Amino acid sequence: MDHAIIIPLRMNNNAHSKRNTVNLLQVFLCQLEQLHHLWENEETMKKSIRTGFVVSVAAAGLLLTSCGFGGGESGGDAEGGTTLDLLVPSYSDGSKALWEGVIEEFEAANEGITVNLQVESWENLESVLNTQIQAGEAPDIYNGGAFSAFATEGLLYSAEEIASPETLSDFQESFAANEQVAGTQYALPLLASARALFYNEDLFQEAGVDGAPTTWDELYDAAEAITETGTPGYGMPLGSEEAQGEALIWMAGNGGGFGDAEEITVNTPENLEAAEFMKRMIDDGLTQADPGATQRTPMINVFIQGQIGMVYGLPQTVGQIEAENPDLNYGLANIPTASGEPATLGVADRLMSFKNDGDKAEAVTAFMDHFFAPENYVEWVSTEGFLPTTISGAEQMSGDETLAPFLEMLPSAQFYPTSNPAWNATDGAFKSLFGQLGQGMEPAEVLAQIQAEADAAAE
Amino acid sequence: MSAQPVLAGPPASHGRKRRRQNSDGLPAALPWIGPVLLLIFAIVIFPAGFMIFNSTRDISQSGIDQGTAGFVNFAEVFSDPNLPRVLLNTVVWVVVVVSLTVLISLVLAQFLNKPFPGRTLVRMAVVVPWAASVVMTTTVFYYGLDSNYGIMNTFLVDIGILDSPYGFTKNVFPALGVAIIVAVFVSIPFTAYTLLAGLQSVPEDALEAAKMDGAGPFRTYFSIVLPQLRGALAVAVLINIINVFNNLPILRIITGSIPGYQADTLMTYIFKVLQFDRRVDLASALSVVNFAIVIVIVAAYVKIVKPMKEA
Repeated sequence: MDHAIIIPLRMNNNAHSKRNTVNLLQVFLCQLEQLHHLWENEETMKKSIRTGFVVSVAAAGLLLTSCGFGGGESGGDAEGGTTLDLLVPSYSDGSKALWEGVIEEFEAANEGITVNLQVESWENLESVLNTQIQAGEAPDIYNGGAFSAFATEGLLYSAEEIASPETLSDFQESFAANEQVAGTQYALPLLASARALFYNEDLFQEAGVDGAPTTWDELYDAAEAITETGTPGYGMPLGSEEAQGEALIWMAGNGGGFGDAEEITVNTPENLEAAEFMKRMIDDGLTQADPGATQRTPMINVFIQGQIGMVYGLPQTVGQIEAENPDLNYGLANIPTASGEPATLGVADRLMSFKNDGDKAEAVTAFMDHFFAPENYVEWVSTEGFLPTTISGAEQMSGDETLAPFLEMLPSAQFYPTSNPAWNATDGAFKSLFGQLGQGMEPAEVLAQIQAEADAAAE
Repeated sequence: MSAQPVLAGPPASHGRKRRRQNSDGLPAALPWIGPVLLLIFAIVIFPAGFMIFNSTRDISQSGIDQGTAGFVNFAEVFSDPNLPRVLLNTVVWVVVVVSLTVLISLVLAQFLNKPFPGRTLVRMAVVVPWAASVVMTTTVFYYGLDSNYGIMNTFLVDIGILDSPYGFTKNVFPALGVAIIVAVFVSIPFTAYTLLAGLQSVPEDALEAAKMDGAGPFRTYFSIVLPQLRGALAVAVLINIINVFNNLPILRIITGSIPGYQADTLMTYIFKVLQFDRRVDLASALSVVNFAIVIVIVAAYVKIVKPMKEA
């Protein structure tokens, strides 16, 4: 090799010092080179590293003790007041402001209690919660879905400890029953929601379809006719956002479901038939492209823009259409099922309270009683566009026309088996695996995979 | 910087003398390097240790430690049917991204090293992907390629390359391809600048001497320029390997909506185990495996390539 190659890097620094910005990087390289000298002198370094290590361990020990790693002292400020941490998901763009309003009134009426609000998206909510539980700083009040795993691990207050008897007796029987694990009620039902079929009337007319389908076969034919006009007939969101939702709507439509508090049953003949029908729709090209990787929220936006024939939507979808595309000519109908018998997915979310140090039950009770008082609760639940879970709330809201079709479907609703401790894992398995139905995997294989995860969690 | 004179004085000819100098200087140096060591302990060593600890625990779905689990989590990791595919994806991902990045950066650095009008502007433009947040850059690509409202999809349809919009980010292979393009795009600035710095330290007289001896441009490049770039290349490759191997945001955004584990690398797989399956213990065990792989790669690289040795 040429002799010039041996000239060390450093010697050239001065010669090129006029070259602009790049010189900074040269300095960086130079440092790396010096690092390499260090490397060569490994032996020399060993000793200093050892000493350095001892010092840093000692110092870090000090640091950690002063930070109080291992948690424990959250809440309870210096004035002797109580701080409640409230972790909620974002149901709509207005969720945060709505909760802030509730908190403001509550704090005004209850001196000495402050509420810290934390709003997270549905996608992040559960990871945030898990991190907080692990750090020993679980929220005092949590608005979420699954709760039985927390209850069986003894992390939650029972419902009796966090609400007055008057508040508890106001909940509708069927909802309250859904909040029990082994005979004890742990959570307070916050809201309910059911799904309905939203269909684009203009696209129906263009394709020559008369009226909303009531059975799977009619749905198939309608989707086929619409697809032939160039617009996807049916929107099937099987992405990780809510694959379990779409799955249960179809499976409930064939008399199936996800099981009960004792056993998770995903791989059943009824469910398999439903999954096979879904796959047939996908394979025949009657859905939007790539259903396996489609998330629900963006897909409903596409429906609102008038680009999909039919989707399963929520009560909120009505308000969303009003706000974003009021010209959309659409209709609402019951979910089509295999036989035509009404069935739909019902979702109930709940409020629960983590014990932490076990000294905040009183403050939580004050908050719950305040929140579920009809004058506060009805405003909250109707602004968010959900169905109420309290008797007094249902009486007040029975006149609401938008909600009428959904209220009507609620009796035939199937709920998630949230009181089964293995439900969390099943839910996760649906989110990460069910979409494979749209990527060419056989329905039986998909259901077997999900069932395997559920069984593993139940052990 | 403050530690430099003490730790890395000018290379002396007698090893013994230098050694004494260093150990004498250590107490004096401690106040200066102490805070750094503390920081390294608090944000590197302690979390890594805690991760290893977690990997041997049985942690419930809600995050409660339920006692020791021995090596059960590791047994589960190594018997995981998804692992081979995930590892294969990881290897392809790292190898393709790093080699494309280095090749393109070598060309780009050579170009930026030549004087031409507007060179400063071009050099600044190259920095842009580096200056922008990775999540932001990736999100632009993600929405641009969306099949319903993506501007890039619309463009490809308009100019007739595609008949109808295609879900680039919704199928395994195209999505990995897009992720690779984005990763190369955001890795180029650092790599190109590192190589450019290396190029600028190639001595003029060596190039002149080569010219006098009648070496053509290719001969000059491969015999004189490239060997001189060894140090810069070593840094660029090593840092890129680690960065790309541990990359989460790009893959998470581009391939995040794909169901199953066909498009996952070790990093995104760990994330899914954590987010969907809520298995902190299993995810920790996977992370330990991940950590071990990085260490092995770096050690092997240093051993085989001897990147820091001058030619």
